[in-house]
Amino acid sequence: MVDPVRLGVAMKEEAIKTKDLTKQFDTDVLAVDNIELSVLKNTIYALLGPNGAGKTTTISMLTTLIEPTSGSAQIIGLDVVQNASQVRQQIGVTFQEIVLDPDLTGRETLDFHARLFGIGKPERLARIDELLKLVELEEAADRRTKTYSGGMKRRLELARGLITKPRVLFLDEPTQGLDPQNRENIWEYIRTLKANKDTTLLLTTHYMDEAEALADQVGIMDHGKIIIEGSPRELIDQMGADNVRIMGSGDKDAFCKNVKILPFVESFNSANGTIQIGVDHGNRRLVEIVETAVKNEFHIDDIAVSKPSLGDVFLKYTGRQLRDK
Amino acid sequence: MNATFLLWQKQMKKALVHPEEIVGMLIQPILWVILFGVGMRSLMGTTTPDSGNDYMTFVVPGIVALTAVSAAIAGGSTWLNERLIGIVKEYLAAPIPRLSILMGNATSIVTKVLIQSIVILIVGLLMGAKLSDHPLGLIGGLLLIAGYGIGFSGFALAVASSTDSSEGYHMMIFLLQLPLLFLSNSLYPLQTLPAWMKIGAYANPTTYVVTGLRQITLGAAPTMGSIADIPLWLCFVVSGAFAVFGMYIALRAFIKAIK
Repeated sequence: MVDPVRLGVAMKEEAIKTKDLTKQFDTDVLAVDNIELSVLKNTIYALLGPNGAGKTTTISMLTTLIEPTSGSAQIIGLDVVQNASQVRQQIGVTFQEIVLDPDLTGRETLDFHARLFGIGKPERLARIDELLKLVELEEAADRRTKTYSGGMKRRLELARGLITKPRVLFLDEPTQGLDPQNRENIWEYIRTLKANKDTTLLLTTHYMDEAEALADQVGIMDHGKIIIEGSPRELIDQMGADNVRIMGSGDKDAFCKNVKILPFVESFNSANGTIQIGVDHGNRRLVEIVETAVKNEFHIDDIAVSKPSLGDVFLKYTGRQLRDK
Repeated sequence: MNATFLLWQKQMKKALVHPEEIVGMLIQPILWVILFGVGMRSLMGTTTPDSGNDYMTFVVPGIVALTAVSAAIAGGSTWLNERLIGIVKEYLAAPIPRLSILMGNATSIVTKVLIQSIVILIVGLLMGAKLSDHPLGLIGGLLLIAGYGIGFSGFALAVASSTDSSEGYHMMIFLLQLPLLFLSNSLYPLQTLPAWMKIGAYANPTTYVVTGLRQITLGAAPTMGSIADIPLWLCFVVSGAFAVFGMYIALRAFIKAIK
């Protein structure tokens, strides 16, 4: 019997697919370690992980900037090594660092990019106006980009990524270094994209709220590997309704053993001195958890109840905090 | 081809944005002719009545070569900068040939060199240099310079592609620049050089470009020794081959850098 749900998924087309994708820089630096990615068309996929996890290297391979050491990757069925130039026709990218020529104006930046892709003049001019309007840079369009603020630069880059009407758009840390208002703006544009264009989006981020807010599917990446993958909801739900985070000292083993078996505990994880307990109702269960700690001579230094987030998921699978700078 | 043109256009536009770059670009060769050319000219002028003008005629091609090398170095520096701040990634992710990215840069460097060469020629003429009466004198000369400029731009782009530090770039380019300029007949006649330097000069494309210019573009400078020992056709072949070789090593270094 074929599971009808799975069949449905398999029949949907993949925009990005990788198999054992690996990049080794020096003999001992494995930046990307055998990752399997599958991103369905017209969805948003977020690679979430700390700096140095291998997200940018993954994007570099998918956008044909560097070649994989081993394994393969396909964009809309085109191999990134064999059909690199066709892949480039299909994709748009914004890079982690701001990559704008300071001497060009916003309009010139877009025009130059569109011409690199061979887009004819009438179409180019129409799209430039349309995109300048979308990212609200009409007034600044004829100023040199060196006069732009960080948020304006990011918005211009987003417009540049879109001007070629890419079927797959890669955004590497699209909101890094932006203030909350500018972040919200960029999120809004990304959501608009999803709503009215048939574009697949792969973005990387180290902000868990960004992944939660935008992505249909999240892959948590650490040390070159995708550790866990799922929709933000799925990932968060497995943590329990509420998350209790405890740090302390004393007889940790006894405390852990006894707290794990409490009937309301839905998930449990202990790594690097932080104990995470997923419970059905945090505030109500706090007392019982503290009692268990006292009984087992475990001294609580810090205890916090929160709605679980992708950060807690990250902590659970990597044993480390994903700092949300 | 189209992409080469686009990148050429972008680099030219960027140069036009900075008036100080244009002014410097035009003043630098004038200074060379006036300060170096005239200074040397007065030294030479003491031997025979004609030798002053002869040296001016003789040294103009040398100053052209020197200017081409400086422009290529500046172009390589721009390229290194574009690589370091990541602008090159925009080109790399676009569906254009890798070579056209480099060609766009090299041709924009050469455009500047050709403009500078014409300035040098004009100032040189004002200072006593003589033009040849060859009908293709100017066109032929510009072709020779273009080949040389692309070739040395290729070297500069190759070096700028294989290092991540500005200091490293300038150090390596310095090692290339000195012998290329001075191990040639650009500033002094071949005949007066010691044997080992002559061998080096014959192996140096600068010698051929400079000699070619002396044969086709500039007038004769009898007191500066004979230039007929290298045929004109060979000058064109060497200039063309140098251009191809320069771009080849630039492409190789670039592809290695993005692997």
